[in-house]
Amino acid sequence: MKQVLALVGVSFAGRYLAGCADVGRDRPIQGGIVGSGSSIGHMIRDGKAFPPPSQEVRTGILIIGGGISGLSAARWLQKKGAENVIMVEMGDETGGNSIFGQNKVSAYPWAAHYLPIPDVANTTLIEFLTEIGVITGFTDGVPAYNEYHLCHDPEERLYIDGYWQEGLIPKFGITREDEAQIARFMKQAEDHRSAKGNDGKFAFCIPLDASSADEEYRKLDRISFRQFLNDNGYTSKPLLWYLEYCCKDDYGSGLDSTSAWAGMHYFASRRGKATNASSSAVLTWPEGNGYLMSALRKHNTYPVRTGLAAFSVANTDTGVSVDCYDGGKKSTVRIVADKVLLCTPQHVNKYLLKQVNAERSIYDKVHYAPWVVANVTCDGVPEGKGTALCWDNVVYGRQSVGYVFANHQNLVRKNEGVLTWYLPFTEGSPKDARKAIYNKTIEDWKKLVLEDLAYAHPGIEAFVTRIDVKVWGHGMIQPVPGYVWGADRTEAMRAIDGRIFFAHSDLSGISIFEEAFSQGIRAAEEMLAG
Amino acid sequence: MVKGADEQTQMQEKKQGQGLLLFSVFVIATCGLIYELVAGTMASYLLGDSVTQFSTVIGVYLFSMGIGSWLSGQVEGDLLKWFIRIEILVGLVGGCSAPSMFLLFEHVTYFRIVLYSFVVLTGILVGLEIPILMRILKSGIEFKDLVARVFTFDYIGALLASLIFPLLLVPYLGLIRTSLVFGIFNIAVAAYLLYYFEETMRYRRRLLVPVLLSVVALLAGFVYAERIMSYSETLAFQDKVIYSKSTHYQRMVLTRNNRELKLFLNGNLQFSSLDEYRYHEALVHPGLHALKGSKKVLVLGGGDGLAVREVLRYPDVASVTLVDLDPAMTQLFRSNEMLLQLNKRSLLSPKVRVVNDDAFNWVRQDTTRFDFIIIDFPDPSNYSLGKLYSSKFYEELRHVLSDSGIIVVQATSPLIARKSFWCVGHTMQAAGFVTVPYHIYVPSFGEWGYIMAMRNYGWHPGADLPTGLKFIDRNVMKSMLLFPPDMSEVTTEVNKLNNQALVNYFEDEWAPYVH
Ligand SMILES: Cc1cc2nc3c(=O)[nH]c(=O)nc-3n(C[C@H](O)[C@H](O)[C@H](O)COP(=O)(O)OP(=O)(O)OC[C@H]3O[C@@H](n4cnc5c(N)ncnc54)[C@H](O)[C@@H]3O)c2cc1C
Repeated sequence: MKQVLALVGVSFAGRYLAGCADVGRDRPIQGGIVGSGSSIGHMIRDGKAFPPPSQEVRTGILIIGGGISGLSAARWLQKKGAENVIMVEMGDETGGNSIFGQNKVSAYPWAAHYLPIPDVANTTLIEFLTEIGVITGFTDGVPAYNEYHLCHDPEERLYIDGYWQEGLIPKFGITREDEAQIARFMKQAEDHRSAKGNDGKFAFCIPLDASSADEEYRKLDRISFRQFLNDNGYTSKPLLWYLEYCCKDDYGSGLDSTSAWAGMHYFASRRGKATNASSSAVLTWPEGNGYLMSALRKHNTYPVRTGLAAFSVANTDTGVSVDCYDGGKKSTVRIVADKVLLCTPQHVNKYLLKQVNAERSIYDKVHYAPWVVANVTCDGVPEGKGTALCWDNVVYGRQSVGYVFANHQNLVRKNEGVLTWYLPFTEGSPKDARKAIYNKTIEDWKKLVLEDLAYAHPGIEAFVTRIDVKVWGHGMIQPVPGYVWGADRTEAMRAIDGRIFFAHSDLSGISIFEEAFSQGIRAAEEMLAG
Repeated sequence: MVKGADEQTQMQEKKQGQGLLLFSVFVIATCGLIYELVAGTMASYLLGDSVTQFSTVIGVYLFSMGIGSWLSGQVEGDLLKWFIRIEILVGLVGGCSAPSMFLLFEHVTYFRIVLYSFVVLTGILVGLEIPILMRILKSGIEFKDLVARVFTFDYIGALLASLIFPLLLVPYLGLIRTSLVFGIFNIAVAAYLLYYFEETMRYRRRLLVPVLLSVVALLAGFVYAERIMSYSETLAFQDKVIYSKSTHYQRMVLTRNNRELKLFLNGNLQFSSLDEYRYHEALVHPGLHALKGSKKVLVLGGGDGLAVREVLRYPDVASVTLVDLDPAMTQLFRSNEMLLQLNKRSLLSPKVRVVNDDAFNWVRQDTTRFDFIIIDFPDPSNYSLGKLYSSKFYEELRHVLSDSGIIVVQATSPLIARKSFWCVGHTMQAAGFVTVPYHIYVPSFGEWGYIMAMRNYGWHPGADLPTGLKFIDRNVMKSMLLFPPDMSEVTTEVNKLNNQALVNYFEDEWAPYVH
């Protein structure tokens, strides 16, 4: 209620922080590195001997991998009435890169955290969102979104020059020239968004395989985004920083490791429409895309065996024979299926398919960015000078891409929260980066995370109660120049002998929910057809 | 010769010892008066009416000193030891008096009892000091000199105290720290006497423990003083801060001056006891009196119980459910005597159920149908509050409102925050309600606005208002519907979770008044 007319303008938030900080907390920060499920992955990679099968199972269809692509395929098969389907998943739970965690304070994502509202042309996704109540109705074909799921305002802020500005495009301390270049780039992106190729298709679509085949646009895939920007006279530092941030955030790649086509795709593919939101609106939940993943998971009634890692696929007379290792029981299960769908990344397929004679040139072409995600639980919320705490909070000029406030969509704001902090490794060799990050201890990570957060929030340590960390060695496929429209990728999607099928976001080249979702549907359709 | 020199040094030592004791008279006199002033000020801060408070505190204090003096006659044995013990006690009790009273204010229904217990206890102990000290000193000095010197120092100390208290201590240290500092002085006297006089050898060690413990306790109090009441905060308010607390959700501050009591939440005025009746009568009666028959009422926010007080004027109100986020708030307004007087013990009524939960979550889960819903949230000054004014929130209210029920929302000032006010109305319309906007004048806030909302137009103000109202009557209910041109309707966006239009309007419109 009410504000006094001549209110003495005291900001309590600041003193709150100071007041609490000087109480001096010595309590240790809790937390650990969660689910280092890569150990079996490494056994597969290193060709370790697994025990001989002690059990054999027969099935019609076997789905290997329960990420979004696998779950989406299962949903589609179910819709079409397929029977005799089972799924195996290496991890303790399905979900892959869309898993989430939960503590007293909030649910929080372990990786994927949002979905932009899709283009109405993406009918399968629109249908799914309607099924699960994310879309609540339509007016003249334009969806109305559930307002609890649309990202609440304020959405994004950027810490630059000691101040939190609204929005992520740098506004502070930039020159006229910067401003002009930013405007020019945005205009160019806008033009690309409505551009159509000579085949009448949009130049940039999601799923990307629906994009125009016009050489005019596809040729952009052969050069790097940096090259493109350079050729177009973009030199503004803040602009380049922003574009690189976008590539890092969505693709885990830098300006050099992103193709110009993929770079443009980020800005030119989103044509979402809603009756109650702008076209740039995003959907998000405290648990991130874990919300969508759970909906897919719930939908699925096929048997799922978690903790079971496929390590070898063989094409036999009686069917496709898949050996899976049960890390808990330390035993091997052989599953013989009429058809197998590999919803696993290509760096895994490389080892799984060793016994299958097939030309798959894709393996040398895939590059994955390692990611580290930390969920930081605080008994206070980081505000700072300028714009209030947002959903997405980014700091100018840092390696990390900032943090998402996991509680943002909660309707109750408490004086505590979980910050989901993201660090992609886009520079140097991903292999070296992987080695380095696997060797770090939780204490190393805590230090690193706190140092990074303290840059914009000095004194934040005093509020942090726990830091949990997850290391994604092969977090995201990088859309390096030549990958998306290279022949290897399209070939890698092709089934082997009409029996071994493939679906995974890395077969699109950009690691987003929509791609994984439609990869699953495409593969399920192929299986049903053949 | 040798003997003479010895005697001389002995004499000198004795003189020095006496000088020291006289200096202690000065210190303890200052301390004694300070405690009295602290108690008097505290009483007028917390209870108001400073003339009465000061004179009763002084009276009781002096009387208690009398008791102390009388009791001193009963004290026998090692007088120095007694004196040191008393010093420690005075330091501890006097030193802790202000912080304890501030802390207990919230918990104790009968604050006066606590107050006067402190006054009596300190008075008695201080009353013991001087007579015992005089008995210690009397061996060395002639009686007339003794009386003359002791009282000289006593009165100098008193003068000093009465000057530095208002000029230095209250403005620069604040009450809590002042009381702690002088507690430490008292104990320092005890410690120095213990160290200086050889005859304390036997019990020096034993008394050293309580001396050290008390000093530690008072120093710890210093550290916590910042928590009890931050110094900078006391400067931020025009009136005396009589209570403040940081809860999990907000900072509550109660202030008072001679005329009124004010509650601030996060620095924003919540009410002034002088004119809150205007605000709360206007919030409750236009809507509630128009509903016939037995009614179920829901109050969201309003943990001060003042809106509930107005609701309880209607005998046909069957039940009131109050949902307020902060348990500390509802607890305070259910236990403190002064605040209970203000809300007429409304939150203790058997008809009232208090729920401490977030209103948004609660409304989404509850299935009761209410006839009258009062929404008394803080102004939409931040994004989390903005959610409680969103179209989504009002849509949820539809599920808990009976068919012919009425909702009323406090909707900030239509004069200062014209867009904000109309935005609340448009947002309720977007959620499918018919609205009746109205406004009144509350001196503490200025022109203030409310929005009534219902499923279909059905508001018929009648004559049967409860008796005893000071502000709302039929004529006021007519005039409150008229909006002069400077407050008349403007077009605004609808406030949604994903645009927070209201918070942005509100920030823009109030900014010139806040900074
Ligand atoms: C840090 C990070 C942030 C991200 N943020 C977003 C975001 O905000 N929005 C967005 O849309 N996307 C985001 N993504 C992309 C995300 O990867 C996709 O949205 C999607 O979850 C990918 O699904 P998938 O099925 O293609 O792959 P995966 O999630 O990789 O699924 C593969 C599954 O196969 C399992 N598996 C692997 N090997 C075996 C084996 N041998 N046997 C059995 N099972 C096996 C794995 O355990 C896993 O469950 C993010 C990714 C990362 C790493």
